[in-house]
Amino acid sequence: MTGQLAPGFPNIYEIWVYLSGSPLLALILTLGAYHIGVIVYERANRHPLANPVLIAIVLVAATITLIDMPYPKYFEGAQFVHFLLGTATVSLAVPIYKGLSAMRGRIAPLLAALVAGGLTSIASAVGIARLLGADSTIVGGFVAKSVTAPIAMGIAERIGVSPTLTAVFAVSTGILGAVLARFVLDAVRSREWWQRGFAIGVAAHGLGTSRAFSVNAEAGAYSSLAMGLHGVLGAVLIPLGARLLGL
Amino acid sequence: MISGLVQILLFQGLGEVVTHFLLPLIPGPVIGLILLLGFLALRRSVDASLDQVASAFSRHFGLLFVPAAVGVVMFWPHLRAHALAIAAALVASVVLTVAVTALVLKALSPGSRK
Repeated sequence: MTGQLAPGFPNIYEIWVYLSGSPLLALILTLGAYHIGVIVYERANRHPLANPVLIAIVLVAATITLIDMPYPKYFEGAQFVHFLLGTATVSLAVPIYKGLSAMRGRIAPLLAALVAGGLTSIASAVGIARLLGADSTIVGGFVAKSVTAPIAMGIAERIGVSPTLTAVFAVSTGILGAVLARFVLDAVRSREWWQRGFAIGVAAHGLGTSRAFSVNAEAGAYSSLAMGLHGVLGAVLIPLGARLLGL
Repeated sequence: MISGLVQILLFQGLGEVVTHFLLPLIPGPVIGLILLLGFLALRRSVDASLDQVASAFSRHFGLLFVPAAVGVVMFWPHLRAHALAIAAALVASVVLTVAVTALVLKALSPGSRK
């Protein structure tokens, strides 16, 4: 740097100190990274591996590590985005309501499949992680991971496990589900779109649902219904179950 | 758009009140969701403004959990130490969940049986 810029014009270091003290930097970082993620996702023809959320997380995590910004400091600014999770969760009532009329006559099989799928998700993840020697912090993060992330984090807080790990596992689950579901559904010879969509929604919530919508509209509608129902049922039953089992 | 946002915020607030005073085990937003669902069922329609807000949220749901998920940086060494267990649990669990859900649906739906 060649000394001072024009008088009255703060140098770059002062701007930096000023910005990092306000929520603006964290907000720009979060939204900017997500924006880049969306661009990459579109360029990659919406390939599930180019997930915009995953890209945003990696970019933000790398940046705050690089500029030595402690996570709590980042979160102080990014909490304004985080807050909207609750609002977005409430807004899920709309797709659920729209899906309910299509559900008529199929309520029993859908609910049975939801309960079976939800239990499988928890039992398999927790069981395998324990078997392979993961500690209780990590195992706890798996309990709510198939539930849509905002609700999963709420559940995690209630049952005393890390909401952060839960969110990370939920996002990873969504991406894996979006990539793998097609092959699994073909392998078990599931042919009806509504069944395929519902199965994706139960296992892989929001990310699976957006994938399902891009393949078939009926599958997408059932997937968002499954995601919403799983969220509501999970929020009610998982804390109760955890309390009963003394976790 | 604004009236839809106001409705959602009101139900979110209502949910927080209920969870705080009556049902501490269920997250407030989930109670808000259930109450809004009940409200929609009573009205038997979704007004355009509410629909607009809801679809904007669902399109960019992912953005909203970036701040929390970035917290992964704090768990990084921990996660790396257990990488195999985590990867195995995530992959196997997704595959099994999709398979079980699809199989139960197939078995219980009269229409799709051969």
